[in-house]
Amino acid sequence: MSNNFEQMQKDLYDGKFSEVEAATKTALDEGMGAQDILNNGLVAGMEIVGRDFKSGELFIPEVLMCARAMHAGLEVLRPLLAESGAASMGKIILGTVTGDLHDIGKNLVSMMLQGAGFDIVDLGTDVKPEQFVAAVRDEGADIIGMSAMLTTTMPSMKSTITALKEAGIRDKVKVIIGGAPVTSKFAEEIGADRYAPDAGAAVDTVRELLV
Amino acid sequence: MKTLKPYLKYLSDAQIEEINEGSMSLLENTGIMVDHQEGLEFLEKHGAKVDYQTKRARIPRKLVTRALETVPDRFTLAARNPEKDCPLIPGGRPYSRNGGGADFTIDLETGEFRPLLHADVKEYYKLMDALEGISFIAPVFGQDMPVIGRDILMLREAFGNTDKPIHLRAFTGESLKLMFEMAAIVAGGKKELKERPIVSLLEAPISPLKFLDVTVDALWLCGEYGIPLDVCVMPIAGGTGPMTMAGNLQLLNTEFLAGVVISQLANPGAPLQYAARPMAMDMRTGFSMAGSVELGMMASAGAQMARFYNVPVSLHGPWSDSMSHDGQSILERTYMNTMAALSGANVLVGAGMMQQSLVISQEQLVIDDEINRIAFRAVEGFEINEEHLAAEVIDRVGPGGNFVADMHTYKFLRSERFETKLLYHNSRESWEEGGSTTLVDRAKEKALIIIKEHQPNPLPEDLGKELDEFVSKALKSLEK
Ligand code: B1M
Repeated sequence: MSNNFEQMQKDLYDGKFSEVEAATKTALDEGMGAQDILNNGLVAGMEIVGRDFKSGELFIPEVLMCARAMHAGLEVLRPLLAESGAASMGKIILGTVTGDLHDIGKNLVSMMLQGAGFDIVDLGTDVKPEQFVAAVRDEGADIIGMSAMLTTTMPSMKSTITALKEAGIRDKVKVIIGGAPVTSKFAEEIGADRYAPDAGAAVDTVRELLV
Repeated sequence: MKTLKPYLKYLSDAQIEEINEGSMSLLENTGIMVDHQEGLEFLEKHGAKVDYQTKRARIPRKLVTRALETVPDRFTLAARNPEKDCPLIPGGRPYSRNGGGADFTIDLETGEFRPLLHADVKEYYKLMDALEGISFIAPVFGQDMPVIGRDILMLREAFGNTDKPIHLRAFTGESLKLMFEMAAIVAGGKKELKERPIVSLLEAPISPLKFLDVTVDALWLCGEYGIPLDVCVMPIAGGTGPMTMAGNLQLLNTEFLAGVVISQLANPGAPLQYAARPMAMDMRTGFSMAGSVELGMMASAGAQMARFYNVPVSLHGPWSDSMSHDGQSILERTYMNTMAALSGANVLVGAGMMQQSLVISQEQLVIDDEINRIAFRAVEGFEINEEHLAAEVIDRVGPGGNFVADMHTYKFLRSERFETKLLYHNSRESWEEGGSTTLVDRAKEKALIIIKEHQPNPLPEDLGKELDEFVSKALKSLEK
């Protein structure tokens, strides 16, 4: 069986989504468990992708193609995983903070996180602290990710954290921040859990926080 | 007679036509998104097909053609001191400005990376006022300045510390109007400002093909006040624009034409520049790159499109992703700037700027002053006539002689060459005697001297007072 997984991982790496989808079905037909296929086929495949992305061998659009192939397999497994309650790897609320309209970086982070299998609730741009708080309540998310590209809008990241505290839900979510003028020092100062310098790092950070 | 303008050409005439055709049909069939109710109604009134639900305006070719007819082919970025005017003329000499919007710096004394502060802003203006290779000045921001009205305060600083043309950055539509009013005070009235616009503005649609409400308002306000506008089109290849250079250029050109339509149909003859600022996404990290040879190539082709439409063109010049004023910075800037200048740019943008346009440094400004003046020299070409060809002189000196003491040498000694004080061409011995300085050391020294000694031409006292009164009222009105 490990042979099949090897082929599945290779197809995933090459972004061959119909092959990955077919292989997932075959594996199920052969009696393998959904969780087994997910862990040893798809997730293991994406780990190789992640490793090569980090070493600079793969480019973002290639990673997104791999992710698409992974999702083709995941869709087959989803109903079965849902039964066992293991369908979601985690839910993340994303938004560009209030007063800020830059969304290219945030969208990239969103695509990469979706690619890695996380569920994303994208609140868009110009998101106010109370909107983040409401979304945490309504969506039951694990993580909030805030993006800011202007030095003048960075302070509102702190306001969101304060609003989360005031709403008594700060300990229910982790907070990640990013954007060109943002630094890890700033994250520490405002009491965010983590800072991620780029979209790839955001995926790693989310993984670390959720494990 | 001068040599030819040494303009780079990537596009053939047929390719230029093809890109133009492509843009016309994209505007007609795909259209643009205009997040501005009045703007949509305005476009519909002029013959665009508008879908109010999706805010999509499809613009027929004849509208674009009509808008293009009224775009002026030249205008002047006026200065408080007319000697420092920058006339932008297709085929004319290039001018340059610093990169705008930075609010971090590398400390001139300690070399440490830190936020830019209000106190630095004055020094920056002083320095840029003194540097000849920086023709006009864009704002840098102090992080300790109040957020609301920061743009207005920086303009006040600019008027007090330079008599060169000033390039604006506005945070809101409201503050933009207030800044135009400030410019009118300094210019001596709204009419005088229109005749001699001492400020200019940059506005950018959001790639792909989207115009925000603030952008439309700004385009119209510029037209109303006669303020020169950079229609800044900056799709990021592989991100907000196609991966291919041709595709990114196609999109960029389409967005420029859309800007022309919105501007010219409302205010025919409003001065604008084709600010072709193609970017590219770093496919390993997602960052948008400032330095990359393809940017220079796309921008160069953009300059050809601008010449095709007969409008002045502004390109990224000294531009780099580097974290400091190091070798990478100088390498990227030099080729970007040289390519842009040789492509016929009227304005070379970027002096001083690095790290995703967040950081500006004084050493870098001094170095870029030099890089700019070298580029100015390169496009100037050289004189060719009997006296300059010097056959008679060659004959006079004859085989085996030399030209050092010839009258001809004496005559042209100072007019033929670019004079540098920053680049070193002397012996190792005297270099060591002078402290074995690097280019950056010498740039730092020059910056320190300028900041200490340079006295900008002050605003007349009564004007200064009037401005101050206006600014304090303006700030109060913004706080409400
Ligand atoms: C949750 O966890 C995470 C983790 C990682 C995260 C993350 C979240 N978010 C981002 N990341 C990280 O991952 C990505 C990489 O993988 C990175 O994302 P980035 O977002 O950094 O990178 C993107 C992938 C690509 N980069 C970008 O998208 C930004 C590029 C530049 C050129 C830029 C653009 C494109 C725009 N702009 Co603006 N813009 C500039 C930028 C200068 C530059 N060269 O970078 C910058 C950011 N802008 C600036 C300014 C001043 C402004 N902009 C404005 C407007 C715009 C446009 C609308 C025209 C356009 C945005 C279009 C859009 N859809 O987003 C205005 C503000 C509008 C507003 N209210 O927000 C305006 C105020 C301009 C004006 N009118 O005067 C400057 C900010 C200066 C500062 N320190 O505050 C600026 C540095 C340029 C400059 N020097 O003027 C990382 O930061």
